[in-house]
Amino acid sequence: MADFAPERPTLWQASSLPPRILRVTDLNRRVRALLDGDPTLADVWVEGEISTPSFPPSGHCFFTLKDSASQVRAVIFREELARSAVRPQHGMAVICHGRVRAYEPQGVYQLYVESITPAGAGDLHARYEQLRARLATEGLFDADRKRPLPRWPRRIGVVTSPVGAVWQDIRNVIRRRYPLVELVLSPTVVQGEAASPAVVVALKRVFAQRGIDLVILARGGGSLEDLWAFNDERVVRTLVTAPVPVVVGVGHESDVTLADFVADVRAPTPSAAAELAVPDGTQLPAILDRLRDRASSALLGGAAERRRVLAAEARALVSAAPDLGAARQRTADLVDRGHRALAARLERHRATLDGVRDGLRALGPAATLTRGYAVARLANGTIVRDPAQAPVGERLEVVVARGLLGTRVEETRSDGGEELLG
Amino acid sequence: MTQAESITDAELAKRPFDELVAELQRIVAALEAGSVGLEESITLYREGLRIHAACEERLRSAELTITELGRRAAATAPAAAAGEPASAEPG
Repeated sequence: MADFAPERPTLWQASSLPPRILRVTDLNRRVRALLDGDPTLADVWVEGEISTPSFPPSGHCFFTLKDSASQVRAVIFREELARSAVRPQHGMAVICHGRVRAYEPQGVYQLYVESITPAGAGDLHARYEQLRARLATEGLFDADRKRPLPRWPRRIGVVTSPVGAVWQDIRNVIRRRYPLVELVLSPTVVQGEAASPAVVVALKRVFAQRGIDLVILARGGGSLEDLWAFNDERVVRTLVTAPVPVVVGVGHESDVTLADFVADVRAPTPSAAAELAVPDGTQLPAILDRLRDRASSALLGGAAERRRVLAAEARALVSAAPDLGAARQRTADLVDRGHRALAARLERHRATLDGVRDGLRALGPAATLTRGYAVARLANGTIVRDPAQAPVGERLEVVVARGLLGTRVEETRSDGGEELLG
Repeated sequence: MTQAESITDAELAKRPFDELVAELQRIVAALEAGSVGLEESITLYREGLRIHAACEERLRSAELTITELGRRAAATAPAAAAGEPASAEPG
C-alpha cells in the first residue's frame, strides 16, 4: 500500500486535462452567489403552512413552510421575530416575506423571513374548518352531549398504537394513580393512509366489549397531517356512537382535532387523558382512613349519646315512679289492719279458751267437793285411798268444800269404798 | 336487620374496590345517623374495620391488568419497538 500512496497526486498531476475539482466550500459559495444574483429570490412572498416551529435559545425561530406537495426550510431571526405581529405556530397558514439564500456551512437553501402575515385558511385548515362547521351544525359538539366520566372505572378501553411512548405513558400513569383497573388495549395504527379506517375499527371493537366503563383515544404529537385521522369524519362519527364516555388525548396542548371536539372529555395530551380517566389513588388511603375515623367517632358518639339518653330515661323513670311515701302509708295501714284483725282473732280464741277452762274447772276436785265429796289425807298430805294407809289412832285431815276437819281414825274396814257409799 | 350481615372473606377479596368503598361509606352513614341499635352499631363498626383493612390490602397489592383485543388487527402497525412487551406485538 505504501508503494501506491504517492501515485494518486501523480495521477492527477499527470492528467493533461485535469477535472475541475471544487472544494465543498467553493461549491456552496457558487450556489449562494447564484441565488443571490436572482432578483426575484431576493425579495419573495411565499404562501404556505408553518410546520414544527422551533425556538432555540438563540432567540431565532426555525420552521418548515409547506403546502400539499413541497416544503422549504425557513428561519426568522430574533430581531424580525420581535417585530413580527405573528408568532409562528404549527399549522398556521401564512404568507412570508423575505429572501432566499443558501446557508453555506450546511449546503442548504432556506427562506430568510423578514415578516409573516396570516394567510387565508390553508388547504388542510380549510377542510378542517369546513368539516368542523358542518359537524357543529349537527350538534355533535354540543355541551349537553358530553357525559361525565365514571368516578371509579373498572375496565378502561384504550385505542392507540401498541408501540411507542403513548401506550407506555398511559400504562405508567394509570399504574401510578389507580392500578385497580383493567386496561383493554384496542390497538390501531394512528398515522398514514390506513389510520382513519384502522381507528374506526379499533373504536368499534372496544365499543363492542362488555363491561368497559370508558374509552381513551390517544395519539402523540405531530403535524396537522400526522393527526389527520383524528379530523376524519368517519372517526368523528364513530366516536359519536360511543356507548360509554370517551376521553380524547391527541397530540400536544395546542393541537385540537375534531375528535377532541366530539369527545366527552378532551385531554391536552395522552398522559393527561390517562390522568382524567382514573381517580387519584394516592389519595385513597387518606380517604379510607377518614371513613374509618368517622365510623369510630360515630360509634363513640353513639355510645355517649346512648349514655345521655339512658340517664335522661332514668330520671324520667324516677319522676314517673309511684309516690313511695304514700305507698309506705298504705303499707302501714295494711299492717295496722292486719294487727287489728289478728288481735280480734286472738280475742275470740281467748274467749273460747276461757269457756274451755271453765268446763275443765267444773270437772276438777273443787267442784266435786262442792257436790259433797271429801278428801282425806295424812298429815304429810298423802291422799288416803286405802284403809291400810291410816291405822286406828292416825290423824287425818278431811278436806270438804268449805274447809278442813281435823280427825282421828277410830275404826278401819277394807270392804271397798263404793259399796259403802251405795 | 339485614345490614348487619357480615361479608365473607371470599366476597371481600372478590368484590370491586369501589363497591367496598361504597359499603364502607354506607356503614359510616348508618353509624352517623345513629338509627341502629347499640349491638348492631358495634357489629357494623367491626364490619367497617374489616372492609377498611381489605381496601388497604387491595391498594397495597394492586397490579395493573392489561388485556389486548384483536391482535391480528395490529398487524399493520410498524413492527419493532424493542423494549415493548411482546404482548403489544402482532403475532
